[in-house]
Amino acid sequence: MKGKRIAAVLLSAAMLVSMAACSGGTANTSSAAANSQAAPSSADNTAKKLTIWAWDDTFNVKAANEAKEIYAKSNPDVTVNVVSMAQNDIVAKMNTAFESGNMDGMPNIVLIEDYRIQNYLKSYPGVLSDLSDITKTDKFMDYKLKIMTENNKVYGVPFDSGVACVFYRSDLIKQAGYKDSDMQSLTWDKFIEIGKAVKAKTGKAMINVDPNDLGIIRMMIQSAGKWYVDADGKADIANNAALKEALAIYKKMQTEGITVTSSGWDAGVAAVNDSKAATAVMGCWYASSIKKAADQSGKWAVAPFPKMSNVSGSVNSSNCGGASWYVIDKVPGKDTAKDFLSKTFASNTDLLDSLCKDISLVSTYKDTASGKNVNTPDAFFNNQPIYKDWNDWTKNIPAVNYGTSTYDIESKMTEAVQSIVKGSSIDDTLKNTQTEVEGILSAAG
Amino acid sequence: MKRNKTLSVLKYIFLAVLSAVSIFPFFWMIISATNTAAEVNAGKLTFGAHLAENLSSLFHSDLHFGASVGNSMIIALITTVLALLISSVAGYGFEIFRSKARDRVFNILLLSMMIPFCALMIPLYRMFGAAGKAGLTGIGLNTLFSVIMPSICTAFLIFFFRQNAKSFPKDILEAARIDGLNEPRIFIHMYVPVMKSSYAAAAIVTFMSSWNNYLWPLVALQDPQKRTVPLILSAMGSSYTPDYGMIMAGIVIATLPTGILFFMMQKQFVAGMIGSVK
Repeated sequence: MKGKRIAAVLLSAAMLVSMAACSGGTANTSSAAANSQAAPSSADNTAKKLTIWAWDDTFNVKAANEAKEIYAKSNPDVTVNVVSMAQNDIVAKMNTAFESGNMDGMPNIVLIEDYRIQNYLKSYPGVLSDLSDITKTDKFMDYKLKIMTENNKVYGVPFDSGVACVFYRSDLIKQAGYKDSDMQSLTWDKFIEIGKAVKAKTGKAMINVDPNDLGIIRMMIQSAGKWYVDADGKADIANNAALKEALAIYKKMQTEGITVTSSGWDAGVAAVNDSKAATAVMGCWYASSIKKAADQSGKWAVAPFPKMSNVSGSVNSSNCGGASWYVIDKVPGKDTAKDFLSKTFASNTDLLDSLCKDISLVSTYKDTASGKNVNTPDAFFNNQPIYKDWNDWTKNIPAVNYGTSTYDIESKMTEAVQSIVKGSSIDDTLKNTQTEVEGILSAAG
Repeated sequence: MKRNKTLSVLKYIFLAVLSAVSIFPFFWMIISATNTAAEVNAGKLTFGAHLAENLSSLFHSDLHFGASVGNSMIIALITTVLALLISSVAGYGFEIFRSKARDRVFNILLLSMMIPFCALMIPLYRMFGAAGKAGLTGIGLNTLFSVIMPSICTAFLIFFFRQNAKSFPKDILEAARIDGLNEPRIFIHMYVPVMKSSYAAAAIVTFMSSWNNYLWPLVALQDPQKRTVPLILSAMGSSYTPDYGMIMAGIVIATLPTGILFFMMQKQFVAGMIGSVK
């Protein structure tokens, strides 16, 4: 008897809970709707407090803080709060908030990685503010603008360039019988030829490879204006000539024995710092990792990215990584947020030039080329004006569509690359991967 | 006799190797907390002299690490107390009171263990968001309440307490009823004292999972000052050039509470896992 009563109570409690959940849901939808109606009608989109999210205390968080100081001079009444958070955490929070339509606690301005932005623009239209009026398209590099443009509207303010380059040990290249001039306008064939000489004469590897990081493949295909997806966002794997050539080069470097393998990011940096590899082919941001080995000062130099001689359209310029600033539309204060960006990252060459010195920023704002710090030679790189060089190379980076699912595709590609290196045929493996990637893209919508 | 001796020597060697393997990560963590990031990267395995430096950068950076330890502690303690109270009453009820529907209800409850948390996250987020918008301050998103609430009653704990209640001698129950004790008092005065070790085991498990909980606090808490320890540790590790010395010092501090709790309750924990009443 008693048992029945308890079961009844439990059941009704369960029903109550589920009903409460339902009503909670509807209440929220209606309030969200009310909110979205209220936002445009209220003319006042300004705020006295702005929040910015970014993820690296030594890099983009520091940049946001310097921008905050500059903005405070002209707008002392606005408090800017810069919050440092893990990038994956920012992504998780944005996904939950955008999916549920509840923007409570979201920041006004957020930094989003270029590889990820298409997903937000396509899956959550209207969530990010149109910044066409503050981002002047003739002032920024094209490749950077392309990824944040949707229906002719620009949704972000470009931040850092990830221009790709060859960091190389000048001393080791010379020991192998080559000159600095041989490293300019490289092709991958020449790179491998020099690599074999370096291995034979110095015993060192030419380059470090990390089986779990396909950055180098991504850089190679972007140098030919290609990506894992085509301009329409459809999978472009099996018939992608640039990708096939990139994989063939990647495999050839390993079969020729000019690589050293380290698993994981820190192991790769350690390999370079310990002089196990004569070059590092990376985005410009890798310079800070190279500079950790202070005893190698003066031995390093920077050369443009090698091109693929067998692929038409491949140039000596590419990109790896990079991020941009975005404004979340429904968070109160979007006009203040836009004002902040327009006075700092979207126009202020003094700020961008001092960031070049403070955080080694390579900007994608064209007018920074004449800045004082940008043209200062770097002693660690044998007094080469590296920032000026990077700036020049950034102009030639081919624009590609990164699509919505770069990281998901990359995990499938990692498996494919492993089996190709072990001896599977490139064509067959890529055919399978094409099918898998089509599945990922159709699931992503 | 001789064979036995070799066997036990082999046994000890095997056990020694196993313990070395399981202790090494902790050893590495403590060593790294005393070294600089560069030394950690270089694989240095001896104690360094930078512990104080790491601790001061840990507490003086803008990460609010000190506050996060406080937040985590409050959340973990309240969650543990409430979860033990609610789940033990429920588990006890399921075992002691009989009815036809009992096992059906219990099975439905167990089914809920199969729903991954990710599937519940967005509904939960909307519920707490709506509560905040409805003007119920203190229970909306971005409050400690929103982190505590979803984890105070779990199917696992109810199951655990029900299993343990099975070994509770029913004779005591009958005797207490005949002597005129009412049901709540039977629970408090008869059941709870006998089940101490179950409570200890459940307390450790709940405290640990609450202390280490990552996904839900990440989504629910937005103020930097309200973040919990795992969130801060994750934020520290995400820089392009992480300061491993400082991170390891943070991890040592994050490991201490569960470590202390476990060593305090080790005996009861083991007994509770085996079964309370023998």
